[in-house]
Amino acid sequence: MALLELDNVGLSFSGVRALDGVSFSIEAGALHAVIGPNGAGKSSLFNCISGIHRHMEGRVRLDGQELTGVEPTEIARLGVSRMFQNLALFEHLTVLENLLLGRHQRYRTGLLRNLFWTRGAREEEVRHREKAEEVIDFLDLEHFRWMPVAVLPYGIRKRVELGRALCMEPKLLLLDEPTAGLNQEETEDMANTLLDLRHELGVTQVLIGHELRFVMDLATQVTVLDRGRVIANGPPSALRNDTRVLSAYVGGTVAA
Amino acid sequence: MPTRPLVIRYEDDLQLFPGLWHKAGAVLTLAVALGYPWLASERWLTVGNLGLVAIVGAAALMVLTGFAGQVSLGHAAFLALGAYTVAVLGNKWGWPFWLALPLAGAVSACVGVVIGAFALRLRGLYLAIVTLGLVFLTQHVLLAYPEVTNGLSGTSVPMYWWFRGDVGSAASVGDTWQLGPVVLGFERKLYFLFLPLAAGTVWLTKNVQRSNSGRAMMAVRDQDLAAEVLGVSTTQARLQAFGVSSFLAGIAGAMFAFQQQYITVEPPFDLNLSIQFIAMIVLGGVGSVFGAVSGALAFTFLSPLAESVGHALPLIQQLTSAQQATVLLSVVVVLVLVLEPMGLFGVWLRIRRYFQAWPFRY
Repeated sequence: MALLELDNVGLSFSGVRALDGVSFSIEAGALHAVIGPNGAGKSSLFNCISGIHRHMEGRVRLDGQELTGVEPTEIARLGVSRMFQNLALFEHLTVLENLLLGRHQRYRTGLLRNLFWTRGAREEEVRHREKAEEVIDFLDLEHFRWMPVAVLPYGIRKRVELGRALCMEPKLLLLDEPTAGLNQEETEDMANTLLDLRHELGVTQVLIGHELRFVMDLATQVTVLDRGRVIANGPPSALRNDTRVLSAYVGGTVAA
Repeated sequence: MPTRPLVIRYEDDLQLFPGLWHKAGAVLTLAVALGYPWLASERWLTVGNLGLVAIVGAAALMVLTGFAGQVSLGHAAFLALGAYTVAVLGNKWGWPFWLALPLAGAVSACVGVVIGAFALRLRGLYLAIVTLGLVFLTQHVLLAYPEVTNGLSGTSVPMYWWFRGDVGSAASVGDTWQLGPVVLGFERKLYFLFLPLAAGTVWLTKNVQRSNSGRAMMAVRDQDLAAEVLGVSTTQARLQAFGVSSFLAGIAGAMFAFQQQYITVEPPFDLNLSIQFIAMIVLGGVGSVFGAVSGALAFTFLSPLAESVGHALPLIQQLTSAQQATVLLSVVVVLVLVLEPMGLFGVWLRIRRYFQAWPFRY
């Protein structure tokens, strides 16, 4: 069953056609990769799914529910969480606070009860802490729990950002270049984490990737974008020798 | 000795005073706070009261500027609203102070939320300019209705225990009490009223900081787009920050009015006051409750000290003592910004780190 359906999604920025008639669907439990050269519209596609670009055309549906025109906060509540390409962590907060913010929408206590630190507020804090600790355990972040994000190295920050997205217990996890800027070892760690996520937690993931090998090895399904259009869609094995994909990446015409 | 006991439950991490050292520090602070009014001279008791007012005001600004990242120059306006609310309630209807005090906060909070709603799309400099306008607007409104506020000549601020009109029970707080050897004058009574108010404010702001509401404010401060995607409503977080901040600022203004007993619009409720509060939280360290408290205390206690050493310093001898204090405090704030951008909170972190690592250097 398709978890996410994109139907004829288009997006323009004053003359630049970032996305044009993008339609494909993502199966529940898949690790779906979206690849394409720079400027192909990968990140714009994510922005459309998470509701940041309000002027998009076409429709997006999650689990049969319409996401088109819905506020970003509401989309987050419906179960779409996201890891940004350029880190968007809260630098002055600790790792734990960043993760707890991932659970923000599940808090039921409002400002008044928080102000007076009532029993309900305390219990809620502990309950969400337990969930955040599960994620900390899953991602091996124990040592960094109390550190402000600003002092952490880049590879750890990537993991914190993934953790924050996981704390939302998403149905759909959007990963915008999770391995950008990571070294070989960190990339392998990230690959293992993504596979664990799929196998152990069954989270549906959409992955934007640059590195073809990383994507081809991990993904169950690959969509290739070029200049805002879908030029290929299928399992990695079918795309490995696709001339359209190769020409989009390498440029010009490639002799098959 | 371990600095804190082993944490075996998540509840333990939520405590304000988790370890022996924290508890000892709290007891020591309490002892000093309770002993101060008996040991201090009349002049320093007044400074102490102003310090407690400053703690409430600085904590209020810390919620808005430190947590939610909204730089506001309009703090003086909220203090003015609180001050004039208690003055009018006392003069016109003879309300007791303990009833007028929360109402002062409420009036200020209402205005704060409305301003917050207008300022939702503004940030940084633009917000500063709008809130600057609020100071002048408030001054204008207060002066424009002399039949209520008594205009330029100012108004007295009565402080009753009970509603005036009930004969015999409308005693003023200003009356001196003689309980055997213990003398409770006005300033001393105020001190014991202000102390729990300041402590309560610190507790409330600390609760904001350690709870989900405060985290949402800080998320909006650091990365508002990412906060939206996480489901944090920037509108709600900013409005809550404005609400809490202006409520507490109203309380601080009311406390200040009670302490002064007679208030005018300008001074003290002008741009200068707003800037003083900004200087306090910068001095203490933006983003922490400790910073608000230490900055407020440092600022109020340094002023009289600066006045007493000012005449001995070259270059500024010709100035009045108030000007000397301003010059010296400005120098201190600039030095803090250059040497320790995190303010007194940063200094405290360094001291703590030194002793945690002791006997090693780091």
